[in-house]
Amino acid sequence: MGKGKPFLEVLSSAIHEDYRFPFLEVFAFLYALGTFVFASFGVTITAQGATNEAIAYDVVSSTLSIPLFIFIILVFKNIAHGLGSDLEKGIIQTYFSYPLRRRGILTAKLLSALGVALLLFLGIQISALYILAPDIILPQLGTVLLTYAASLSYPLLIAGIMLLLTLKLRRGGISLVVGLVLYFAMSMVSGIATIFAIYTENPVSLQIISAISPSLVLQQYYGGMLGDFWAPAFSEVLLYTGVSYVIVAFIFFLGYIYFSRRLNL
Amino acid sequence: MKRWTTVLGRVGTVLIAISLALLLVSLIPQIDLISYRGGTSVSPEQVSTTGSRVLNPQQEVQVAVTVEGTLTVYLLEINVELQFVNGTFDYNFNVADLQELLQEHPDRVTWEREVENEDYEWSYIPTRVMNATIVFYNPSDSETAYVEYDVALKSSLAPRDKVRTIAYCATPIGIILAIPWLLNSWKQRKQK
Repeated sequence: MGKGKPFLEVLSSAIHEDYRFPFLEVFAFLYALGTFVFASFGVTITAQGATNEAIAYDVVSSTLSIPLFIFIILVFKNIAHGLGSDLEKGIIQTYFSYPLRRRGILTAKLLSALGVALLLFLGIQISALYILAPDIILPQLGTVLLTYAASLSYPLLIAGIMLLLTLKLRRGGISLVVGLVLYFAMSMVSGIATIFAIYTENPVSLQIISAISPSLVLQQYYGGMLGDFWAPAFSEVLLYTGVSYVIVAFIFFLGYIYFSRRLNL
Repeated sequence: MKRWTTVLGRVGTVLIAISLALLLVSLIPQIDLISYRGGTSVSPEQVSTTGSRVLNPQQEVQVAVTVEGTLTVYLLEINVELQFVNGTFDYNFNVADLQELLQEHPDRVTWEREVENEDYEWSYIPTRVMNATIVFYNPSDSETAYVEYDVALKSSLAPRDKVRTIAYCATPIGIILAIPWLLNSWKQRKQK
């Protein structure tokens, strides 16, 4: 038996567990509805006053509000509950008997928990935005993808931390709570950092937060809502987004190391 | 085989779910943002405009015109402004500007129609954020034309017809894909 077949076995089993009928359908419905309901081109935008990139950023940001939270709930549920219950019930131990490396098992679990959820979320949102405004979305696809990348970085970082916690504790309940606390904590921390930066006219606190949540630097690049004391260049936006994904990749790498070498079951 | 039936079946049910969301979006009624009506006479080989608006893809402009004589009605992607010239207010757009625009920027002509002694209605939903100006041009070299117009700007979540068409196309595809999987699941439950 080749390595492909056991991998597909684990992947299909994980998808079956993570997306029981009608979970996938409910989330697809909510993503499609949410994209149209929350899409906004701004009431005060004038065609001369805003660039096409800024308009594309605005409309993508507006559609991300509640649908992104729904996506996060799905991912957190898959990682904390899905992986946690597999560890508790001993299903992971059964997978270890397959002719498949441990990292292959974790890849299959993450492909199901994160990959399918991301594919569904991005597929539906970008298609819906294309239906709504093809002449904004298609020419500004780079801006659209950068906005998604910047907005998804922090949720993916929390997902990585939740993965580590779930593997360490071998149950998902606590990591789910930690994940939700971390998610809401970021809005409070960025609020405090913004006030601090405005009063001191020093963007260091915002720059530090942008390294883990680059949506802040992107917002400042397109909107400049926080004041003139910080005017990031586009290369800076790319740098912060890149750094944030290096951090995300490092956390997932730690998860792989722990799952492959340190997880004694 | 069974795995492919499941994959295609779930793709089908997801398509049905998305179609239901699109149908729901298309059923949400439009909101009237602004409407105005007026009438004007257009001298031979002259233009008249109704002013500019910024439109976005969640808005639909509905125009009804009644024309006596012959007029070419344009929806142009331009911004015109009122100017105070020789003691009167007038828009900074004349027939020379129109000719220049038609020759050098034909891509800015969003819509064009010649209307002759008739009532005509049309609507337009932009696919990007744009300035829009309705322009009436009298191509006749001797007769003055009269136009009465009724312009309404409406707001909706999405272009209703487009969304509804996609939903109508996706639903049967989804049902076809889902039926084998649903039958399979039902048989399995019956056996249990």
